[in-house]
Amino acid sequence: MKDVFRQRRMWRPRGELKRRYDVVIVGGGSHGLATAYYLAKNHGITDVAVLERSYIGSGAAGRNTTIIRSNYRTPEGVAFYGRSVELYERLAAELDFNLLFSQHGHLTLAHSDRALITMTERAEVNQLLGVDSRVVDRDGVAGLCPELNLSREVTWPIEGALYHRRGGIIRHDAVVWGLARGADRRGVEIHPGTEVTGIESSNGRVTGVRTTRGDIACDTVVSATAGWSTLVADLAGVPLPITTHILQAFVTEPLKPFLDVIIVSSQMHVYISQTDRGEILIGAEIEPYTTYLGTGTFGFLEDSARHTLELFPQLEHAAVLRQWTGLCDLSPDYSPILGVTEVGGFLVSCGWGTYGFKAAPIVGTTLAELVATGRTPELIAPFTLERFSTDSLVSELAAAAVSH
Amino acid sequence: MRLPPRPQERIDRSRELTFFFEGEPRHGFPGDTVGSALFASGRRVFSRSFKYHRPRGLLCCSGQCPNCLMQVDGVPNVRVCTMPLREGARVRGQNVLGSLDRDVMSVVDKIGGPFTPVGFYYRTMIRPRRAWPLYERFLRNVAGLGKIDRGAGRTRRFDTEHRRVEVLVIGGGRAGIEAARAAAARGEQVVLVDEGLGPGERAAGGSFEVIAPARALGIYEGGLVPVDAGQVLIRFRARRIVVATGAIEQPLVFPGNDLVGVMLPGAVRRLTDEWSLRPGSRAVVIGADERALSVVAELRSAGTEIARVVDLRAESPRRIAAEGKKGRLASVLVDGEGLDCDLLVMSGGRQPAYSLLAQAGARIEYDAGRGVFVPIELPASVEAVGAVAGELPSGATPAATYEGGGKARGKCFVCVCEDVTTKDVRRAIAEGFDSIELAKRYTTVTMGPCQGRLCQLPSVRLYARENGTDEAAIGRTTARPPWAPVSLGLLAGRGHEPARRTSIHERHVQLGARMMWTGAWRRVHSYGDPAGEVRAVHEAVGAIDVSTLGKILVSGPDAAAFLERLYPNRFGDLRPGRIRYSVLGTDAGRIMDDGTIARLDDDRFYVTTTSTGADVVSEWLEWWNAVWGMGVEVVNLTGALAAVNVAGPRARELLGRLTDLDVSNESFSYLDAKQAHVAGVPCLLLRIGFVGELGYELHCSSPYGEYLWSTLLERGADLGLRPFGLEAQRVLRLEKQHILVGQDTDSESNALEAGMPWVVKFDKDEFVGKWALEHVRERGLRERLVGFEMTGWTVPPEGGQIVVDGRPAGRVTSARWSGELRRAIGLAWVPAALAEEDAELAIRVDGRLEQARVRLRPFLDPDGERLRS
Repeated sequence: MKDVFRQRRMWRPRGELKRRYDVVIVGGGSHGLATAYYLAKNHGITDVAVLERSYIGSGAAGRNTTIIRSNYRTPEGVAFYGRSVELYERLAAELDFNLLFSQHGHLTLAHSDRALITMTERAEVNQLLGVDSRVVDRDGVAGLCPELNLSREVTWPIEGALYHRRGGIIRHDAVVWGLARGADRRGVEIHPGTEVTGIESSNGRVTGVRTTRGDIACDTVVSATAGWSTLVADLAGVPLPITTHILQAFVTEPLKPFLDVIIVSSQMHVYISQTDRGEILIGAEIEPYTTYLGTGTFGFLEDSARHTLELFPQLEHAAVLRQWTGLCDLSPDYSPILGVTEVGGFLVSCGWGTYGFKAAPIVGTTLAELVATGRTPELIAPFTLERFSTDSLVSELAAAAVSH
Repeated sequence: MRLPPRPQERIDRSRELTFFFEGEPRHGFPGDTVGSALFASGRRVFSRSFKYHRPRGLLCCSGQCPNCLMQVDGVPNVRVCTMPLREGARVRGQNVLGSLDRDVMSVVDKIGGPFTPVGFYYRTMIRPRRAWPLYERFLRNVAGLGKIDRGAGRTRRFDTEHRRVEVLVIGGGRAGIEAARAAAARGEQVVLVDEGLGPGERAAGGSFEVIAPARALGIYEGGLVPVDAGQVLIRFRARRIVVATGAIEQPLVFPGNDLVGVMLPGAVRRLTDEWSLRPGSRAVVIGADERALSVVAELRSAGTEIARVVDLRAESPRRIAAEGKKGRLASVLVDGEGLDCDLLVMSGGRQPAYSLLAQAGARIEYDAGRGVFVPIELPASVEAVGAVAGELPSGATPAATYEGGGKARGKCFVCVCEDVTTKDVRRAIAEGFDSIELAKRYTTVTMGPCQGRLCQLPSVRLYARENGTDEAAIGRTTARPPWAPVSLGLLAGRGHEPARRTSIHERHVQLGARMMWTGAWRRVHSYGDPAGEVRAVHEAVGAIDVSTLGKILVSGPDAAAFLERLYPNRFGDLRPGRIRYSVLGTDAGRIMDDGTIARLDDDRFYVTTTSTGADVVSEWLEWWNAVWGMGVEVVNLTGALAAVNVAGPRARELLGRLTDLDVSNESFSYLDAKQAHVAGVPCLLLRIGFVGELGYELHCSSPYGEYLWSTLLERGADLGLRPFGLEAQRVLRLEKQHILVGQDTDSESNALEAGMPWVVKFDKDEFVGKWALEHVRERGLRERLVGFEMTGWTVPPEGGQIVVDGRPAGRVTSARWSGELRRAIGLAWVPAALAEEDAELAIRVDGRLEQARVRLRPFLDPDGERLRS
């Protein structure tokens, strides 16, 4: 409680770059900072620099729609994200920083028989792996979210839903700041305003990075750069099967509590939640074209508004306050690419599409373990880059068409 | 309360409007806004603030700030200062517990302040975790502003209009009008849009169109400027966009700067000039430029006594503070000099309203000379004129903050939307949130309803001072569209997502069919008795409307070579009049669709696809045709043609009654395609058998569909013909283990593992995805799609899991009860090791494991004798 009254620095001011670190992490988002934090906490590795081109949390970590869930489709995905949700549940206490994680439940709507089959499949896989997830019918949906328009006189009537009780929303910036503070207090250096311009290697092993603030020698480089992953990996000479797309979202002006659960409709490319500040937060499907351009489109607002009002006609007068975009690094099978690459000491966390933020703590723990021990943890073994050479893809695709 | 009639007033005093505030009748005139009418009725407190629930009154009176947000006719967060007054309007305060004048929640302001510094919620309520939902419930309830009526429905549909103009001028101030006149004089077609009610008069005589009140929402992709014109959304595309959005008066930062009675000069000007209202009886004016100080004359003309004028260009007071009683301004302290007053007009200069330009791609830089951010490097075809371009009269740059000193310890707000004080900002910086973007997210300055209009510049100034640097180094946060809040209802427009219906749809409805959604199509689930429909197909004859199938004509000299190269199956040797099935693969060898292809003659092929795959396949074909540059034309005929599948042992007899064609098995055998008249309708007849019985697919022009269908039903009645729906079809095809792409396959399925190696002709030189399928063949099959039958009578759920050692190892993709076989059957993906006849499967049903056995061959008629009969 005393922290409430006392001003305490969250982290040290940015210092000079050293000439050498054991580990350099590229990207000061949720994954980079989580990896740094767990390297220090779980493995005592503190000679770590997190290099961030802009300010911490400026990329996907601060632009996502903050949904945390584990009701995935593949057993590999469910096990992985299930562990992530567990870590998230404990993270606030561990970091001593309230992340405002509210597990009000997550409903993925089914608008057709076939969608219900996919929901059933996910529920069955989830239940077998101990994740709280089940299919509910129309009455069940009405009970969980009475505000939803369950009329059949709409373009896409609701037939049922996949209900994930432990799904919820979190304050995304708080996750970034809490992890940054935790890492900083354990000795990790955070360097915002520091762009990586080159990755040096010799004999197939990483030897250092070049930055806008000078060169650094190191044995291990972890790239956690989401939408920029292919560009950063390219510096190390590692091609990635990833394309970068934008995803858009917007919030309305703040309203008194209206909606507690998270509503997702893949059919209508929309997902809706209400933040603790009262804003209705609405996101859409990944745009089909590839771009790094962060300007939002108007068509997105129109489509999302139309679809939102099909589900919640009451929101007719809610006014859009601001829209924004984020970059998504999409892999061919909608599953992440994690861990080692063909260049020794160059590790990646990418291919997240729209799921990256949900995985921050588990990425942090597993990548930290990989760095510390040199062995790929079993939980992330299915997600290696190598799978694209051995045709061992992990298809989340059925679950991925907007399943935030 | 009104002043005597004034020359510029906007109100029509000859008529009175009655509206209701908190249920009590109030009066105003046409030309009033809800805000001005309330002010005229004596109301000074218009809202309660976001966090501290402090009383707030009119501040900008121009729709920028959050101070006058109210509920009007059930609509939350209405800026009443710009909302035209309507007869009978029902107006209520919002975000209060009690009333606007006595809000119980204002206790937060009195005693809660020290306990709720910036970001307090990040450092409290962490343990015990199980208590968080309670805390959160409380936080959620105190947050938020307006209320949504949970039971409300849509009240109306708004229209969207598309317009092209040569010149679009945004903003109807002096500069905007001048630009519009000039362009019109050059003979250009000009439209001017403005937020206010005034420009119509100012533009009088100009040969250009004025749309007002209307707000430009942004400059979007390709120069799209959507304009909120109240009842209609106009999507403008202009050859040239002239931005004349002017500048926004900035507040000064000093203790008590949010008290009711503290206003910006523009508010004073509007109240006196437009609505003939006296904003206060005794005023202090503090301003940094001529425009602000000139309100003194207006105030005098309205009979307001001027207590003191502080011209910041001439004097630089160190201390300014406002003090109040019950939230209302009572006195102002300027360097220790106390001045009793009920109105304080403040202005810290004007900030160009550059947001639209920034969105269009302009660079925004801090101009230290003028102390504001100005747009530079405008994109092509966008111009800025007037104040927004930085054409501002010179003024003084005010201090980042004025200390109150002495007893004046009131809160000093940087951001009134979010109740952020200078103390909050200082604390954020001290805690390490030292970049403007980080601080924005931590303190939430600029994230409220004004979107930084009134708080961006003051917060940047404060940041610069606290960090010991200048404003240019601090920079600004990104201006995010839309420029003005816009309702979801207006954005949604009418919506054009039509349901697709086949030309036979009405007949199905007459027959009492239960319809279902399959993609955009409405299809028949059943006619009430799926089991009976299945039986009819097995024992007599059935008819199903399959008009939704994708139907693509591929023609041209290279048509055969094209299909040969695209599909894994062989088509080069297909004889005219014959049909062959194939899956269609992606370049990674995955199944994207399937269907039959009939060769009509040497150069023409009739390709069918799944119902949901028609558009995708059509695009896919066109894509490859463009890539390969072959002599092929692709025409998607899906909507143009209707199709009916007639199947069952008596199908031939029925068809024979309706056509002259020799339908004997010898001359019209399985997988033959023929063109003939059926019931007088020109048809393409395909003898194929998705449902496993002797059957014919009749394709004809859509307008004939209904007639063909009715005739078939009529002439088949005595043969026992029944129409059947998708549910019956699903059972029938499952008995044959025919797959449904998209249900039995997913994005990673390939033809080899899906049990159709015969479709893949590896000896062809090339086909799309060949390398990938070769790779699959080499690495060996890992999983297989197989048939299964349950040991018991339970039908497992589709999507159910095959369990091995307690873990998911495979999945059921289709399952049904087969009345013909009297058991539950299905298709499932299983590990390759289990893909053997009679292998035992454990399938999870309602949490228990049920036994099943693998069946590799069709459950019914495995050798296809019925198909060929």
